[in-house]
Amino acid sequence: METMTAAASMKFPREPANYDEISMQQSMLFSDSLKDLKNLRKQLYSAAEYFELSYTNDDQKHVVVNTLKDYAIKALVNTVDHLGSVTFKVNDLLDENIAEVSGTELRVSCLEQRLRTCHEYINREGLSQQSLVINTPNYHKRYILPVGETMNGGLRTKSKYEGCSVDKGDEWHQFRSAIRATIHEAPPSIASKGLSSSPTPRLVQQPGNFAFSKSMPKKDLERRTVSPHRFPLLRSGSLTRKPTTPKSSRPTTPNQSRPTTPNPSSGRQPFISDPRKSASMRIRVGKESPKEFEQFPSKSKRLLKALLSRRKSKKDDTLYTYLDEY
Amino acid sequence: MARAGGITNAVNVGIAVQADWENREFISHVSLNVRRLFDFLVQFESTTKNKLSSLNEKLDTLERRLEMLEVQVSNATSNPALFTST
Repeated sequence: METMTAAASMKFPREPANYDEISMQQSMLFSDSLKDLKNLRKQLYSAAEYFELSYTNDDQKHVVVNTLKDYAIKALVNTVDHLGSVTFKVNDLLDENIAEVSGTELRVSCLEQRLRTCHEYINREGLSQQSLVINTPNYHKRYILPVGETMNGGLRTKSKYEGCSVDKGDEWHQFRSAIRATIHEAPPSIASKGLSSSPTPRLVQQPGNFAFSKSMPKKDLERRTVSPHRFPLLRSGSLTRKPTTPKSSRPTTPNQSRPTTPNPSSGRQPFISDPRKSASMRIRVGKESPKEFEQFPSKSKRLLKALLSRRKSKKDDTLYTYLDEY
Repeated sequence: MARAGGITNAVNVGIAVQADWENREFISHVSLNVRRLFDFLVQFESTTKNKLSSLNEKLDTLERRLEMLEVQVSNATSNPALFTST
C-alpha cells in the first residue's frame, strides 16, 4: 500500500522558464505516468497476495476484508487517474502533431501555389516574347487612282477616286514592266508635243499628246526607262513633302521630290490625304476598313488589263494621261 | 435455551448473508468500473490508432509533396536560363 500511495503521489513541477523547459517537463511527467501504469500491475498482484495471506492467517478477517475493499477502491481510482492523464497527454500530443502537420501542409500548399504562379508567369512571358518574334503581315504599296476622269477625258471635278493596291510582288512587277514597256514602245510622234506642267486637261483634250521623250534623246530615254526612278510611284512617305493642291504640285516629269524608296515611318499614316497622288504603305490591317482592301486587288487587275490593252493600241491617250499623273 | 440459540444462529446467518450480498455488490461495482475502464481503453486505442493513421497519411502526403517541390526547385536552380530575361 505504501508503494501504491507513493506511486499515486503527484510531483509538483517548478515554474518553467521557456517553452522547451515546459515541453521537457511535460514529457517527463508523461514518462512517469507510463512507468506508474506499468508498475500498477505488479503492485496489484503483490497487494492481492498480501491480503490473501492476511485473510488466512489473521483472525480478524472482517478488518482485512474492509481494508482490502478500501485498497481496491483506491487502486481503481488511481488507475483511472493515471489512464486519464496518460490518455489526455497522448491526445494532446497527437493533436499538436496533427496541427503541426496541418500547418506544414498549408506552407507546402503556399509553396506550390507560388511555384505554380511562377510557372504561369514564365509561360506568359515566354508566350509574349515568342509572339513579339512573329512577323506582322506587311502590306505593300497602295496607289490611289482616279477612276473615270482620265479615261473619259473630262475635267477633274469629280472627287471620287478609287484605291488600287498591288498586293503581290508579281502584280507589282507586272505593273511596272507594263508601264515601262508601254512608254518604251511609244512612237515618237505621240510623244512629240511637249509636256506641260499641268498636263491633265490638255492631254485629255489632245489624244496622244505625251511629250515624254521630246526634250531628251533616245539614248537618254532608254537609259531612263531602265532606271527605276523614271516613273517613281508616289507613296505615303512623300505626302508630307507634297503641297495640298494637286495641280500645282504635279510635275510633268518625275523628279527627286518624290521618293521612291519606301518609308517605314510613314506606314501608319492615313489612307488618303491627297487622293490623286497618294500611295501609302501599310503595315497593319486592323485599323483600316476591310472594304477598301477588298477593292484593291480587283482594281489592280482592272488597271493591269487596261494597261496591257492600251499598250497594244498605242494610241490611247488616257494611258499617257494617266501616266502623266505620275 | 435451544430456541434462543437457534434464533441467534439464524440472526448470524442473516448477517453473514447480508455481508455476503454487500461484498458481492461491492465486487460487482468494482468489476463494472473495471469493465468501463477497459471499454474506455479500447475506445482510446481505436481513437488513437485512427489519429495516428491519419497523421501517418498526412505525413506521407506531405513527404511526397515536399519531394516534388524539392525536385522542381532543383530543376529550376539547375536551369537558371528560365529566369533570365532575353
